[in-house]
Amino acid sequence: MFFLKEEIKVITLHPSFFGPNMREYLITRLNEEEEGRCTGDHFVICVMDMVDIGEGRVLPGSGQAEYTIKYRAIIWKPFRGETVDAIVTSVKPTGIFTLAGPLSVFIARKNIPSDIKWEPNTVPPQYTDHADQVIEKGTSLRLKILGVKPDVAAINAIGTIKEDFLGPL
Amino acid sequence: MSRNLIDQDFGSEEEDDDFNPAPADDSDNEDQKATHRRRDDDDDDDDDDADVHTGRTERYRAGSEDDARGRGHADDDEGDDNEDDEEGEEDEEGDEDDEQDEEDEDEDDDVNPRRPAKRRRRGGVLSFVDTEAGVDEDEDEAEDEEDEMEFGGEMHPDDMDTLPVGVETDDRRHRQLDRQRELAASMDAEKQAQMLKERYGRNRAAAADAVVVPKRLLLPSVDDPSIWGVRCKAGKEREVVFSIQKRIEERPPGSRNPVKIMSAFERGGAMAGYIYVEARRQADVMDALQDMTNVYPRTKMILVPVREMPDLLRVQKSEELMPGGWVRIKRGKYQGDLAQIEEVETNGLAVTVRLVPRLDYGLNEDIGAPAIDPKRKRPGMNPAVARPPQRAFSEAEAKKKHAKYLSATSGLGGKSWSYLGETYVEGFLVKDMKVQHLITKNVNPRLEEVTMFARGSEDGTSNLDLASLAETLKNQNAEESYLPGDPVEVFRGEQQGLKGRTTSTRGDIVTLLVTEGELAGQSIEAPVKSLRKRFREGDHVKVIGGSRYVDELGMVVQVKDDTVTLLSDMSMQEITVFSKDLRLSAETGVDGKLGMFDVHDLVQLDAATVACIVKVDRESLRVLDQNGSIRTILPTHVTNKITPRRDAVATDRNGAEIRLGDTVREMSGEQRSGVILHIYRSFLFLHNKAQAENSGIVVVRTTNVVTVSAKGGRATGPDLSKMNPALMRNGAPGGMMGPPQRSFGRDRLIGKTVQVRKGPYKGLVGIVKDSSDMQARVELHSKNKLVTIDKDILVVKDPITGQTIDMSRGGRGGGRIPNGGSAAPQSAWQGGRTPMGMADSSRTPAWGGAASARTPAWGGVSSARTPAWKQDGSRTSNPYDGSRTAYGGGGGFGSRTPAWNAGARTPYGGSGNSDFDAFAAGSRTPAWGGAANSGGRTPAWGGSASNGTKGYDAPTPGGNYSAPTPGAYASAPTPGASAPTPGGWAESAPTPGAFNAPTPGGPAKRGGYDAPTPAAFDGVGGHTRPYDAPTPAGAAATPGAGYDGDDGGPRYEEGTPSP
Repeated sequence: MFFLKEEIKVITLHPSFFGPNMREYLITRLNEEEEGRCTGDHFVICVMDMVDIGEGRVLPGSGQAEYTIKYRAIIWKPFRGETVDAIVTSVKPTGIFTLAGPLSVFIARKNIPSDIKWEPNTVPPQYTDHADQVIEKGTSLRLKILGVKPDVAAINAIGTIKEDFLGPL
Repeated sequence: MSRNLIDQDFGSEEEDDDFNPAPADDSDNEDQKATHRRRDDDDDDDDDDADVHTGRTERYRAGSEDDARGRGHADDDEGDDNEDDEEGEEDEEGDEDDEQDEEDEDEDDDVNPRRPAKRRRRGGVLSFVDTEAGVDEDEDEAEDEEDEMEFGGEMHPDDMDTLPVGVETDDRRHRQLDRQRELAASMDAEKQAQMLKERYGRNRAAAADAVVVPKRLLLPSVDDPSIWGVRCKAGKEREVVFSIQKRIEERPPGSRNPVKIMSAFERGGAMAGYIYVEARRQADVMDALQDMTNVYPRTKMILVPVREMPDLLRVQKSEELMPGGWVRIKRGKYQGDLAQIEEVETNGLAVTVRLVPRLDYGLNEDIGAPAIDPKRKRPGMNPAVARPPQRAFSEAEAKKKHAKYLSATSGLGGKSWSYLGETYVEGFLVKDMKVQHLITKNVNPRLEEVTMFARGSEDGTSNLDLASLAETLKNQNAEESYLPGDPVEVFRGEQQGLKGRTTSTRGDIVTLLVTEGELAGQSIEAPVKSLRKRFREGDHVKVIGGSRYVDELGMVVQVKDDTVTLLSDMSMQEITVFSKDLRLSAETGVDGKLGMFDVHDLVQLDAATVACIVKVDRESLRVLDQNGSIRTILPTHVTNKITPRRDAVATDRNGAEIRLGDTVREMSGEQRSGVILHIYRSFLFLHNKAQAENSGIVVVRTTNVVTVSAKGGRATGPDLSKMNPALMRNGAPGGMMGPPQRSFGRDRLIGKTVQVRKGPYKGLVGIVKDSSDMQARVELHSKNKLVTIDKDILVVKDPITGQTIDMSRGGRGGGRIPNGGSAAPQSAWQGGRTPMGMADSSRTPAWGGAASARTPAWGGVSSARTPAWKQDGSRTSNPYDGSRTAYGGGGGFGSRTPAWNAGARTPYGGSGNSDFDAFAAGSRTPAWGGAANSGGRTPAWGGSASNGTKGYDAPTPGGNYSAPTPGAYASAPTPGASAPTPGGWAESAPTPGAFNAPTPGGPAKRGGYDAPTPAAFDGVGGHTRPYDAPTPAGAAATPGAGYDGDDGGPRYEEGTPSP
């Protein structure tokens, strides 16, 4: 689910950046560092705007300035039960690996409808029900997230396509 | 009161068999006998002469009580009482007395009414009879009975009083029966039922009593008979108790030599080797056990303290064996093997079990010496021979050597085989065993063991009677498997469907806090049997026991009743386990540690081999070594664990920098890709989530991979934020020269003779052995000692003259020059700079990675790599080279600043060198328009691309130094000469080759003053492109314009990228 979240980030700036363009630089830095970041809990999709760039504080000793920036960002936190569209990145006998945006979702064999079978002899290998459903690398899938496992700087999830309206698009 | 002791409820509903050795069925009989006997006594008492004790009734009562106890039946007493009541007509006094005195009966323990004496007390005719009876007395009960039988028919009831004891008794029985019948007939059904209930439903009646009487009052006190523990042969306890029972039958209470104990029992288990006897006196115990086998009353008896008595009778629920349950075999060939109960005999002592046979079909028969008696246990027996592996029975194999022992029988249940005296059905051994040879508690069947029992199914799990297995499992280790906080669900019983979290566990009772439904928030208790752990798909769980998957972490993908399928984090494989073996896991990482080793650790196997752990078993490690082979090793085989270096850097095939955490892909072969886990020399251990084998670990060579993405979005190109020149270590170019440059490579100070200017060592002279940024290690001449001294208080001295040398200037030039002369031509011209060049170049590769990204930006002319070079060239070399060029070459140029701006620019131009030039030139050329040359040249470039291009690329490196070179000396030859060199040292070397030299030359000269140079270099490049000279010149102008405006520094910064 997507949220607009207000967050705070502290950026340290080298004195050489002090100057008229400092603000831009801070924005650039913020965008660079935040956008696309995964906290293990959510993904920062996009920094919307900056609520407040605090006053810089020069750190004693180093001469660098520390800015506490309050900004709003669109974040995506995947939830159990959420239905997402994903692209298959690889298919293995154990299941299907997909990417739903930045989130990698694994669909275990048990969570694939039983009529969709592993077909290793095709090139590339695929899961197919020998009818209109073919799942191979690059296929778009609609899946439901079953579980989310946060990691230090990544999120892993498992999903299922063993329900109505799920599966290849 | 022994009766109380026996009757009261000690917290268990079930009576232990052991406790009542005598079968309850006899009671009726005995009751009657007892009654008779008592009646006799009564009669005696009535007729007692003077020597009778005053308290006779009491005595009698005590005696009868004793009798009852001796029989070990509490219910007998009840019966007695009843009957006494019924018979009230006959002996009212006595009985009434009995009733009244019941409470006092215990007082005179010692009273032991002796029958002969009493009988003798009868007067008149009876005395005659008495003597006979006395004789009778010596005979045993059986004879009595016979007598009774004999006389029974002939006696007239009226003669009863005058008749001998036995006869009288016999008759009484008849009359008694009649009376009972009458009574029964007269009573209404309800009353009768009540009576029957009272008589036979002992437990309930007693329990009903117990409700009224507070329990603590029922506990034994010092007034009650004591219990002695007597040693016996371990394992024979029950036998002993049975023989006591027999002895009591032989010498019943009331007989001449009665067994005067109240009860005997054994506890087995923890108290093996003891039986317990309840009696008033120790002597009674001795007497009762005398000459009995397997029991040793002569050894020290233990008197059980009163307060421990109830504990002795606390009953443990005996294990209930159910068909389909699991047990283990205690000993023998199948020791420890899991067996499934097929059938339980009704007595509960023998069961039929199903086992996976361990047969060798006579294959190892001849190995042992024929003399060995197979029945005899040989400690030295080869265990392998003794215990073949578990395998289903195969008649084919049995036929090979043992056809004569094999016979088939077919019945309703299918075909079975009889082989060597055992029965095999469907591949299993079916065997009758005694319960005591089975382990019935804590069986803990493991899934893989159980799968062996699965009939006919391929994967084992589907066909399993998981329900029964789960049932078996559920009975165990409740407290271990349910911890507070576990999510559970009640799946049977009244509270079925309740969901909650456990809050505490006590024995078999789990307290749970209901979390869902109407009862939410309430705390209820439920037996473990009706609980199961509840997991949802997607839960992250850890296997905590019960299978070989212990400690695996994974996410639940399927939940089906009691079984949960999870996807292992480590191996990406599906594992099916029981929910009771799982626990929610908060751990995020991949678990599975063996001591200090963890999956994905890098370990050193020997000096030349490292390996990455792909699996940690309980005792061994599975590793993937750098050669890509998998091996299983013991932890002891690991030399040491290599802690990953965060800053480990390698270069990929393109020279781009790769670090831990970057994603790379193989260039050839299977094009595997993965995240770099470890960098070890030229090997990378990658982790690929999508790969199941080897836990996703792949080993590749650095030269065979290309970067796909860098960790944390680190630019694969240069770090733009670092483009800020101000942040560069070397400070800003131009006006703000900043502090003296750090020198690259070897510190020039090293090896120099220096003198200390200040501090404790002031004035001492030494040789610099080593140096860091700020300090130098100086070997003092005087002390022959290495001291660390700040560099800024050192002055370099000429070792011979002792004169101070200014290192910042002439010194270096001088120093370097020799270098120049040396092998590397390029360096030749300017000692100072060349090394710099080198230094730069050394740095270059680092930059290189970054640069490549930019290359295309640059105009695509050059190969990806070239720009890289430029990049650094530009950046690195510029300041220095430039600056240095200026210095070094200084002589040649005009004002230094421009010179060095130019230089600055030049070099990078130059550094960009060949290609740079090229591109500069090239880009410019077109720009120029057209200069014929350019035209001419462009193609040249293009054309050269193949050869030429390379030419430049290579040059790049060349560029750095070459730039200076040309600058300073401008001598075409030098660069020319250098040309090869760069090639030599640069990795790209080959390409740069000849051309670069020139090129750089070109650019170098391009600067304002350059003009000439180009010319010069034209000459050089001449062969390639005659016109170059002009172009660069032109070019020179162009850039020149750019820079000139402001000082080179920033300019160039911008400039560089812009082209």
